[in-house]
Amino acid sequence: MSLPVSQMWAVASYVVRQKLAGRKRYPLVLMLEPLFRCNLACAGCGKIQYPAQILRKNLTVEQCLAAADECGTPVVSIPGGEPLMYPDIGRLVKELVARRKYVYLCTNAILLKEKLEAGLFTPSKYFSFSVHLDGLQDEHDQAVCRDGVYVQAVEGIKEALRRGFRVTTNSTLFDGASPLRMREFFDEMMDLGVEGMMISPGYSYSKAPDQEHFLRTQRAHDLFSRILSNPKRRWRFNQSPLFLQFLMGKQEFECTPWGNPTYNVFGWQRPCYLLQEGYAATFQELLETTRWENYGKRSGNEKCRDCMVHCGYEPTAVNHTFGSWRGFRDTVAATVSGRF
Amino acid sequence: MTDGAILEGWIPEIGPRLSLAEVVEKAFDYRGNVTLILNDGSETEGYLFNRNADAPVPFVQLFDVNGAGPHTISYREIRTIRFTGRDTAAGNSYAAWLRAKEAAKAADRPEKGSGSTPPRGV
Repeated sequence: MSLPVSQMWAVASYVVRQKLAGRKRYPLVLMLEPLFRCNLACAGCGKIQYPAQILRKNLTVEQCLAAADECGTPVVSIPGGEPLMYPDIGRLVKELVARRKYVYLCTNAILLKEKLEAGLFTPSKYFSFSVHLDGLQDEHDQAVCRDGVYVQAVEGIKEALRRGFRVTTNSTLFDGASPLRMREFFDEMMDLGVEGMMISPGYSYSKAPDQEHFLRTQRAHDLFSRILSNPKRRWRFNQSPLFLQFLMGKQEFECTPWGNPTYNVFGWQRPCYLLQEGYAATFQELLETTRWENYGKRSGNEKCRDCMVHCGYEPTAVNHTFGSWRGFRDTVAATVSGRF
Repeated sequence: MTDGAILEGWIPEIGPRLSLAEVVEKAFDYRGNVTLILNDGSETEGYLFNRNADAPVPFVQLFDVNGAGPHTISYREIRTIRFTGRDTAAGNSYAAWLRAKEAAKAADRPEKGSGSTPPRGV
């Protein structure tokens, strides 16, 4: 794992506090979507298909901060839409950092260099750019349906690193991904100097344009096993090693849909970041009125059957780490050995 | 793909064979604007983003075509719902990208810049 010690400590102490308080369901990462507008239309994305008046809408900074305060997670992830198109992104990040939230700004990085040169952000241990890259140049440009985006993203990463920012990458894998090319991609990201990488299989959004390349469970296990079974020591991942083991089929986890609650222009999304089955006005209402038993693999819900996405299973992995000696032992062993 | 392409333009007849609750569910899943025809004869057009059939007074919520809202309207006020807006999840931009890539391959020429999808939003 490549997380700074202060961040690991913040997450660990938060989880322990939740357990000591006897909370059965607690959130870990707030997924804050201040807008749905995007400057790309990726084949596997089901997040941005809305009429114009919805795409024009922005949450206010005050709404965003109220959501962060209300759910109280130590980590806030800002996806979207493209967050760098949000007019108040600089102020939003500044305010969240002032609250000592660990902020991940998830961006395609098309606008990153421009925004950095405009002086919108200040480096901080609490703040990281999480740049969307689904592989090397050919694979990434294919995934985002536009040529040249990989090169723009790499330029943005270099500029951010040069200015002293924390930079991570996030990669979504689909059926047909080449393990060898992904390993080359990991090497390239390490050469660039990113802090760590995040990987996850894509979710089969019913609204995504490309419905043919979502990974089913066994194929996902096979793919991630081939990618990660002999990891290089220099690869650093910005996520739980137990989650990576889960992707390889070495851990049996159940989904924690309340672990990464999602707030956007419609309210608190039920039940998770991926499924849209309605909205609650408050986080408390979301927790208390969502029929959680209807979600996750064991529920038999077809929409959850093949889902292995980080937003549902990374909180499970973290909870497992701090909820059992075996989980703690496995996490330490994977972290120390660098093997999954 | 969803059944959005079929729903676009649909004007359902609420009756013994099709309940309002069923139409509300279709409208909730639809990624385009719809028009609510109310019992008083008035109409409201917008994006229906939420519904709760289990609430003491079942309701839908929508943002109108100007983005104002959310407006909350109870089921009992609704006569029917027309699927008047374009289905934004119909996947046309992706289909266009694939066609452009295939055409470029067939012509055996660099396709740089020829197949980029239009940005979403305004």
